[in-house]
Amino acid sequence: MKKKAVSILLATAMVVTLAGCGGSDAPAADAEAPAAEEAPAAAETPAAEEAPAADAEAPAAEGGDLAYSGEISIMHFSTSEESEGNGGSDGFRTCLANWQDAHGNITLAEEVLANDDYKTQIATRAAADDLPDVFLLQGMNTISWSDQGLVYDLTDTIKNSPYADQYTMDYLVPFTAGGKYYAYPALTGGTCTVVIYDEAMWKEAGFDAFPTTWADVEKAAEYFSGQGIDTIAFGNSGQWQLNSCFVSCLGYQYTGTQWFSDIIAGTGNFEDPNFVAALTETQRLFHDTNIFNKDFNAVSNEDAREYYISGDAAAFIGGNWDASYIQATLEGDPKKDTTKFAVLPQAADATKYEKFQNIGLGYGMAISAKAAQDPDKLAACIDLCQYLTGPAFSEYVGANYALAGFCSSDVDLSAFDQYTQDFYNFSYVDNKGCEIYDSYVDGSVWSVLNTEMQEMVNGDKDPATVAADTQAAYKTYLGQ
Amino acid sequence: MLKSIKPKGWVVAAYLAVPVALYVFTVFAPLLAALFYSFFEWKGGPVKTFSGFANYAQLFGDEVFWTSFWHNIFLVVVCIIGQIGLAFIVVLLVNSKVTKLQGIHRTFGFFPSTISAVCIGFIWQMIYDSKRGLLNWFLEQIGRPDKQKVWLNEPGLVMLLVSIPLIWQFIGYYMVILLSAVSSISTEVLESAEIDGATGIQRARYIVLPLIKNTLLVCITLCVAGNMKAFDNIYVMTAGGPGYSSMVMAMYGYKVSFEQSNLGYGSCISVGIFVLALAVIGGSQVLMNYFMTDKYDREEAKHLKQIEKERQRAIKACKAKA
Repeated sequence: MKKKAVSILLATAMVVTLAGCGGSDAPAADAEAPAAEEAPAAAETPAAEEAPAADAEAPAAEGGDLAYSGEISIMHFSTSEESEGNGGSDGFRTCLANWQDAHGNITLAEEVLANDDYKTQIATRAAADDLPDVFLLQGMNTISWSDQGLVYDLTDTIKNSPYADQYTMDYLVPFTAGGKYYAYPALTGGTCTVVIYDEAMWKEAGFDAFPTTWADVEKAAEYFSGQGIDTIAFGNSGQWQLNSCFVSCLGYQYTGTQWFSDIIAGTGNFEDPNFVAALTETQRLFHDTNIFNKDFNAVSNEDAREYYISGDAAAFIGGNWDASYIQATLEGDPKKDTTKFAVLPQAADATKYEKFQNIGLGYGMAISAKAAQDPDKLAACIDLCQYLTGPAFSEYVGANYALAGFCSSDVDLSAFDQYTQDFYNFSYVDNKGCEIYDSYVDGSVWSVLNTEMQEMVNGDKDPATVAADTQAAYKTYLGQ
Repeated sequence: MLKSIKPKGWVVAAYLAVPVALYVFTVFAPLLAALFYSFFEWKGGPVKTFSGFANYAQLFGDEVFWTSFWHNIFLVVVCIIGQIGLAFIVVLLVNSKVTKLQGIHRTFGFFPSTISAVCIGFIWQMIYDSKRGLLNWFLEQIGRPDKQKVWLNEPGLVMLLVSIPLIWQFIGYYMVILLSAVSSISTEVLESAEIDGATGIQRARYIVLPLIKNTLLVCITLCVAGNMKAFDNIYVMTAGGPGYSSMVMAMYGYKVSFEQSNLGYGSCISVGIFVLALAVIGGSQVLMNYFMTDKYDREEAKHLKQIEKERQRAIKACKAKA
């Protein structure tokens, strides 16, 4: 009898424990519940309206008159590690902490992941219709997620924002679908394609500055090969780098700006002869010349930039995040003083050459449609988004890192070292900005292009086939 | 006495209810969910459009999926030979009378299988590294720098190269399983064979192998199942590249689901992996049973079958006459 009683007790305890684990306090979210329809007018009167321009050193947020009291879930990828040396992440975390301090009645439930993990996690949450209240929306997901009713339409709140006159409206393009805005462009506008080179090494090779044509780079490659070092280090093991940090910029030299505008609009064609010519040139440069490190397909951009830092390569092609990392790593090293920046050289048969560098804000702060069902919560979320992308953030990153965000701000360059000044001028002054391909369209298209380009630069696939396969994926995406 | 300690049926059921419920929840529910979603066009989010068998039609014609499937088969074959085959040889060596410090061999042999697959991937990535890797360094040391390569960028070699860490990692795992099976073989049998003049290879082939047949079947099933869902260390080392050269089914499903946000088709791929894995496991067991059965036994079984057929025929004839 005693045994029986113990058995029953144990079994019951296990069942109860299991039920406890499975339980959730989350409200039964109705998938069919209208999202944006019930959106309140509260959006029009965000509390941050009265917030003063934050102090550049320590941007502050004002508590304002938010009616909401409770928790706001937010997911982002500005980890503490990431924020060391990365101005955008540092500014984001600082502003987030300030906003939290100013709003004691609201608890920010932060979920912070590394960038790669973030992409997977947010896609999973979107699939489960379980997005956090506030999150970073990647430009390429805007159309599909807005079509699914996952994100709140922020058009009116952006137009009526107290900072609207300071916004760089061009940055909104990746977050626009059907003429509506779905996110406040966040973090900092940084280039995705920059040639970082050691001026001293190139002088030894007979070039006062980085060559402006690939033909000259090939000549330099003969010299550097003789020295046993790589001319340009590049890493494409992740497959996205060749797209984001190379073709997305070189392509413009062949296609000009109209072709990609057509691609965004859904009327473009990846089999366009000019784009195929850009792919052909990419294949030639990587496969037929000895400009790049031979292991470009087997190493990441992080590995490749180490080749530059250690002097195993005379130059490196990467993005703004690499420039920040190299700056931090070379601190106190004379190599930092000789490190300079250049745009991609001109391809011989490119007819639309300009000094292109692709720049933009790839992520924007979006609000989930579910969070918008509570008017007070929505007002708080909007206030948070506006503060995190507003003048307080821009002034902080401008004053501390010479970077720019969604809001324009004056940067006093004289306060910075030569490296920072040069990179600021490269990013915002000297060159012509163009779009970052994979901030737009859809991951299904870029996944095909990125994977097949890896074979293409090995010489195992011809550019026309890559273009045709990408076009097929593009047509599937467009539902044609 | 036995009856008094035997629990009642409902007690057994109560104890089993929780693990069975957990098993159903973690294994069958996701499988059924994947099956359900595979009939939808679902790009993530609440909107799902029923598309019937469209995803399956796409799967049958999806060149990348079938390439990935053959990569998995390659892994299975290489790993059965490499993991179980080498483990068997190691077991014979460790179990040999002349081997000293057997316990240490067992412990260190098992050690790699305790390391996470991601770490294994990073370790071997460093070994294959073209600039600072151990392999290219070794080739230089032996005076063959001409043989140096960017190993993980070689489409023709990359599958073999990503298999090697898998083999290295799991030899110890199968070694432990096989060691326990070999240990259970009576030493008298082996000694008799030795007295009869059987060589070491003959003892392994004609005595040890048949006696551990069932354990070998379990090992092969585990090996096939493990390699049909291979993902982590390959993802770390090559992410399926260059191009699709080291793409395996699970990674392709991941890529389709999360990079391309095509969860309906991703679910369909998962169902495809499940069905193909079952087929391969079943096929491998049939093959194993065939090869592990003695030729004499097979002929005897055939003979008995023939006798049974004739008996049935005779019964039928008698019945017809009656």
